[in-house]
Amino acid sequence: MAKRYGLVIDLERCIGCNTCIMACKLENSLEKGSWIRVDTIGGPHRDSPEGQHPQLSMHFLPVLCMHCEKPPCLDACPLEAIFKRSDGIVMVNEKKCDGCQACLQACPYGALVYDMTSNIVQKCTLCAHRIEKGLEPFCKICCETEAIYFGDLDDPDSSISKLIAARRAATLKPQSGTRPAVHYCATRQGRIE
Amino acid sequence: MTESGETKVIRTACGIVDGVRCGILAHVKNGVLVKVEPAEFPDPRFRHICARALCSTQFVYHPDRLKYPLKRAGKRGEGKWQRISWDEALDTIAKRLTVIRKKNGPESLAWAIEVMAYIRLASALEATMINPIGFGDAAGPCADEVTFGTQYGHLYTMDIKSPGMCVLWGANQAETRPYYWRRIRDARERGAKLVAIDPRFTSSASKADLYISIRPGTDAALALGMMNVIFEKGLQDKDFIIKHTVGPFLVRGDNGMFLRERDISSLDSDNYVIWDTRTKKPAAHVEEGTLPALDGAYKAGDIKCRPAFQLLVDLAKQYPLETASEITEIPARTIEGFALDYINRKPVASYRSMGLQRTFHGDLSWRAVATLAAVTGNINLDGYNEGYRRFLFDANTMLYGDKFPRPMPLLKAYEAITTGQPYPIKALWLAGHNFINQDPDNNKVLKELVPNLEFIVVADMFMTDSARYADIVLPTCSFFEYLDMLPPLDILSPYVQLQPKIIEPLYESRPDRDIVNEIGLRMGLGDDFPVSAEQYVERLLSSGHPSMEGITLEKLKEGPVEAAPYNFTGFGTASGRLEFYSEHMKEHGQELPLYIEPIESARQPQAKKYPLSYLSTHTKYGNHSLLANIAWLRELNAEPLLEMNPLDAAKRGIADGNIVVAFNDRGSVKLRVKVHQGIRPGVVNINEGWWRHHFTEGSYQELTHATINPAQLAVFDPNSAMYDNLVEVRKID
Repeated sequence: MAKRYGLVIDLERCIGCNTCIMACKLENSLEKGSWIRVDTIGGPHRDSPEGQHPQLSMHFLPVLCMHCEKPPCLDACPLEAIFKRSDGIVMVNEKKCDGCQACLQACPYGALVYDMTSNIVQKCTLCAHRIEKGLEPFCKICCETEAIYFGDLDDPDSSISKLIAARRAATLKPQSGTRPAVHYCATRQGRIE
Repeated sequence: MTESGETKVIRTACGIVDGVRCGILAHVKNGVLVKVEPAEFPDPRFRHICARALCSTQFVYHPDRLKYPLKRAGKRGEGKWQRISWDEALDTIAKRLTVIRKKNGPESLAWAIEVMAYIRLASALEATMINPIGFGDAAGPCADEVTFGTQYGHLYTMDIKSPGMCVLWGANQAETRPYYWRRIRDARERGAKLVAIDPRFTSSASKADLYISIRPGTDAALALGMMNVIFEKGLQDKDFIIKHTVGPFLVRGDNGMFLRERDISSLDSDNYVIWDTRTKKPAAHVEEGTLPALDGAYKAGDIKCRPAFQLLVDLAKQYPLETASEITEIPARTIEGFALDYINRKPVASYRSMGLQRTFHGDLSWRAVATLAAVTGNINLDGYNEGYRRFLFDANTMLYGDKFPRPMPLLKAYEAITTGQPYPIKALWLAGHNFINQDPDNNKVLKELVPNLEFIVVADMFMTDSARYADIVLPTCSFFEYLDMLPPLDILSPYVQLQPKIIEPLYESRPDRDIVNEIGLRMGLGDDFPVSAEQYVERLLSSGHPSMEGITLEKLKEGPVEAAPYNFTGFGTASGRLEFYSEHMKEHGQELPLYIEPIESARQPQAKKYPLSYLSTHTKYGNHSLLANIAWLRELNAEPLLEMNPLDAAKRGIADGNIVVAFNDRGSVKLRVKVHQGIRPGVVNINEGWWRHHFTEGSYQELTHATINPAQLAVFDPNSAMYDNLVEVRKID
């Protein structure tokens, strides 16, 4: 059976602790930056709310490669360095990449990272190397509030498929037609972005 | 690429974050730590890791780690050092300590440490042990000693099964204690309401159903205002008050002490006395079949008395909604609604965290919040029995001989060093306590304390601000580099864990225990003075303490072992009851948890000059000053920022991102400003833990004072009132 791996991130659970960022750095030996980021949805700064004190709101939005069904980065790459595996994981072939960054322009989520030292583009692999060993993505393993769920979107009985149905989890920028594999459960206020 | 060597996975416990020891699996390849990940526990709720622990490899292999012993080669703080051998370092220290001890007495040697190994040396030398808890964490334990008879009253108020409401009182668990958050998360997902009371809109507050922005240091007035609402409607838990608190005990009108049976009878009995409404007579509290009065005024013999609960009601009456609102700057209807919700959503879990107790009278805030929980029956009676209490192994095993070192509260050490009272401290050894960066009134520390110390030794992994002022600096190991058994300070976890040696000590670094052994031998202590890490662990395990029963080194090597619980229900107070009224505090006028205005608030006279309340809160980006040098965390938290509300910024012509100076009579600090709505008008904040060189100029601890609260001193240790300081802020052109 074909699989389509994906994540569900519960924004009501996410407390913006950045553990996923450090997990990504550690797992992928990233001295600088990370393939997942945690945006503050609120005021102009990290960890700052919108509104007027004390009528305020703020939440955190982890953003990573959405492993889209129709990845615009793949279409944008002139060298065909980006490919999609049969399990749905979108990968960069670093040997083919020449660092032109056309994919960065094409991604609606800002999920690709250009590494200046090696002149290539990198991004979240959904920890494909772990999945191949039967393990789960490291950010999921480390998430302090257990806000990240991993599984097979094509299996209607998988925990994430059920969660998506139960919580009506949605994707980021659905209008872009990318059909992401990363889904989000909204906050209690019904907010995602 | 070929892989040489295989990766070994070894279980240990994280030593980065104080207050908790999450289980971690360390991956070691060719003797090098390459990765950590969370380890499982028999109870899966205790499987945790956080962003800080995931920086372990950065911490261990940090390029700035101290590599060999150093001797000061210039003036103190000048940064000129000479590399010396361990033998020279240890010989010099032993010699200097011996000379100072002979000249000024054994108590003139002092340790201020978070590393327990030094207790053995300090006890052998009959030296002084400065209790570092006064750097900001002493008022809560002090308060709980009064109310619950234990310093760990959290467990009574926080560890509530299936709460209908969780209240974060100055607590930001999502950032500073994320391992507690799952309890809050679970409660919320089962329908509990979350209330956050904080002058800052924190990550925790962002999850709250009700965010209450409070004027700093006024929490006792809020709790008393809520109690008044509750008492007026008669919604208190009378049964709990009668059975488990001092509420029914009669208090003498003449001296404020509890009436004792011996006061009104010929019996030589310490029994407390209640007023039995059935017989309309006084009776011993232990007498069965009585119906104790909680209100009214009575005469027992010739002595006028009232039940302690009546006195609490009278106190609460002084805080009607409009008064509570005026003090706290919380709308009256919010206080009233919160009070009624508190009743309707019982049981309520109260998370009182250290932010609540960092004003000058922060102990009273803690007591008031505990009292609110008590009179509404929101107390876990098994609190004494849980978690941390299981690890109070026999502390005598840490000593050499049978005497504890002389204890001295941190703020009293300021006096001892500067005035020689009650006795002079002439040599200071710091390990794990960054005195010169983290303790209050930094200019006083640098200008009055440091010059009065003849000899300073710092044992650390890094050249901290404290190490910069040392005469000898010793390089120590990370927690991956030596064997230890630790009291796992997560107060909710029942597991004892081992910290095995996972990698060899880096460079010339040594574990603190080895340093202690070497100094002991050089100072002529007995051949039996040195203890190996293994011997130390064996001693703790065989201490005879009930919590250690059945735990062996062999078992610990296999994984975490659950310690036996105490079989104790109730309270450790003199009365055995929850003491919201304390006769011991009568002499300080604090027998009840009253509200007292913070000593440096915007309503005090000095606010004309310095109108802003200054906080230095804790963050998710570090642990005190320990991780401020970790590049991975700095990517997210690049520099210190002064948080300021747009209203305060506009008044001062300050724009977001400007460099500003925050100042008062004690000192100043220059840094960038973060103007945002997440902080209350009239309040500014700098996250603590930054080192002096991270600021454009000055240091955040120049602004704080080291004033001693005498009531706290009498009970426990006086606390640094880190959140009770006034400043003004000006833009730098």
